[in-house]
Amino acid sequence: MTNITRRFAMMLAGAAGLAALAAPAFAQDSKFYSGAPRTYLYNPDTEVCFKDTSEYKKDGPYTIGFSNAGLGDSWRVVMLHSLQKAAAGHKDQIGKLIITDAGHDDAKQVADMQDLISRGVDLLIVSANTQQALDPAVQQAMAQGIPVVMMDRRVASDDFVTFVTASDAMMGRLFAQWIAEKLNGKGNVIMLAGQAGSSPSENREKPAREVFAQYPGIKVLETVYSDWSPVKGKQVMQAMIAKYGKDINAVWSAHGLQTPGSIEAFIEAGYKDGEIPPHTTADVNGPLQMAIKHKVPMLEVGYPPAMGGISIEVALQVLAGAPVPCIYTINSQIAVSEGDETQSIQTPLRLTDMVVPDGPADMLITGGMGQDYDPKTYKVDYPQ
Amino acid sequence: MSATVSIGSAGFSRSLKKNQGIVVVIALLVLLLVFGGFVSDRFRTTNNVMNILEQSTGLALVSLGQTLTILTGGIDLSVGSMISLLSTLTSGMIGGDASMVAPVIAGILLLGLAIGLVNGLLIIWLKVHPLIVTLGTGAVLQGLVLLYSLGPAGKVPRGFTYLAYGKVLGIPIGAVVVVVLFALVGAFLTYFRLGRYIYAVGDDDAGARLMGLPRAKVILVVYGFCGFCCALTAIYLTARFGVGQPYTGLNYTLASITPVVVGGTLLTGGKGGVLGTLLGVYLISLLNNVLNFMDVSTHYQLIAQGLIVIVAVSIYVEKRRRV
Repeated sequence: MTNITRRFAMMLAGAAGLAALAAPAFAQDSKFYSGAPRTYLYNPDTEVCFKDTSEYKKDGPYTIGFSNAGLGDSWRVVMLHSLQKAAAGHKDQIGKLIITDAGHDDAKQVADMQDLISRGVDLLIVSANTQQALDPAVQQAMAQGIPVVMMDRRVASDDFVTFVTASDAMMGRLFAQWIAEKLNGKGNVIMLAGQAGSSPSENREKPAREVFAQYPGIKVLETVYSDWSPVKGKQVMQAMIAKYGKDINAVWSAHGLQTPGSIEAFIEAGYKDGEIPPHTTADVNGPLQMAIKHKVPMLEVGYPPAMGGISIEVALQVLAGAPVPCIYTINSQIAVSEGDETQSIQTPLRLTDMVVPDGPADMLITGGMGQDYDPKTYKVDYPQ
Repeated sequence: MSATVSIGSAGFSRSLKKNQGIVVVIALLVLLLVFGGFVSDRFRTTNNVMNILEQSTGLALVSLGQTLTILTGGIDLSVGSMISLLSTLTSGMIGGDASMVAPVIAGILLLGLAIGLVNGLLIIWLKVHPLIVTLGTGAVLQGLVLLYSLGPAGKVPRGFTYLAYGKVLGIPIGAVVVVVLFALVGAFLTYFRLGRYIYAVGDDDAGARLMGLPRAKVILVVYGFCGFCCALTAIYLTARFGVGQPYTGLNYTLASITPVVVGGTLLTGGKGGVLGTLLGVYLISLLNNVLNFMDVSTHYQLIAQGLIVIVAVSIYVEKRRRV
């Protein structure tokens, strides 16, 4: 095959894969977006980067290693369950799935990856604890011929096969654009980020700052870190409210995990329903419940933990030698509180369409795990 | 003063007699090795053994310095912050420029030594227990590194990671450096007068003072060397992670004490040595590796480490009572 036809074939095969993965959990309701990833369709480039994986083609059954940065928040629990569920669904191809948990320690994760390679994995799925510190270890694995599929958290270099993610940049931008328009281009924003140095947080903050910078009237008062925890989120927002009070006009939150903490901080500071400034959120049920109850203007753009399961599908594509996109972006739903659409944020979805009114507050509504899923009791028989 | 433990080849059998704790650690090591062999065929591969050696390097370097401070009856609780600061400065000052590597490494080693000397001077002047002094300097250093950078700082050239992942004759460079350093320090403790004074100060501080031993010099050497070891650890970790971060060293403060006490050095000072520490480091790395092979969750790995510390310390305390 010539170079050009080969590349064309790769693109076609990859695009077919993308479309297949777009098959949604929400398809039953026409308000929900169920098409191919927007970031793929709206991409202005004439050619999207696809990676040839023929050198990794192997016969099964495979041993797949998953080096997890750690658990510790509900998003990561659902992500892990989604991954286990997908592995259980491919028992014919996967002989063994070995999962390690680094407890959010870079040193432990480097050691885990080395131990997994020692144990003879055919492919590594890695969710990196921090962007830079795991880079050399991923490079070492690739140099030893072990394909690495990054998931949710990538490393700084491009030295991996593919990165399964939702678009952090799109989330960060949409959140910021909505806030800027909601405030009519004038006001003060607190950026309630995730964990300092982690890629999902950084990759949402940077595009957001770029958006805010285009509005001379918008001022980012401070960027504070919640470590993705509502408790820490509440603490840092209490400090911000004490410092700036009513001067805070909006809270840009990098995810929904910490948003409830911020809203609680405002409520406890005496803000009445309808007075709490606009917030952004993702994936979590609680913030939507609170926003509806306390009339908080809110934008939800998901970062679906279903990407855990998708990383298994992508891993199998790599081991089958099929081309994969260099960045594997899965889709997000976009929902906004009633009456809070802006020029740029036009969507038929309302918070009331997304929320599970009587469900637990810490439940994730974008995991694709089915209606009766309960993270506390979930068990699946995956190949170990 | 006679309680010397050494690592030199001549002193090895002697050190076994003097410090029976080492026998316990060796027994545990052998037990884990045999057990690991049953868990998985792949455990016994050279690749995995080299893995364990490589993974133990950072802990070994910092524990070496910590052994000496504990031998004097002190402790250094600033090692974690020191490593964080020095590691962040390493990548921050190199900034991806290969020509900066040599001068920055030299500067970091000197800075580590200097910070250690400051710890020593404060301990001597203030006459406050090292635990309090280094707890304070540790907090100061952590504050400084956060002022310097809130996240990962700078970067290192690709070749720099060779320090952590490179091999000489199939053996990781770091592992070779560790064995050589431990042997040198072991020899120093046995064959040099100043080395023996370290035990004397830890054994009976007041007595050492009465006998006119150069106590201040011992303290300065020990804490200065501990700072130097932190610099080595920081450089190694920067190579392993490709960047320094303000919390890189966080876990090392407590972790550096574990192999020391597991290796039979008494927290009260005066008894123990570096051979025990090295074996303790290997024991902990091996334990984590075996538990990983057994698919035991991270949380149990922490519990296992904690239990080993408690068991080890209780064994040694018991011995001391009998004496």
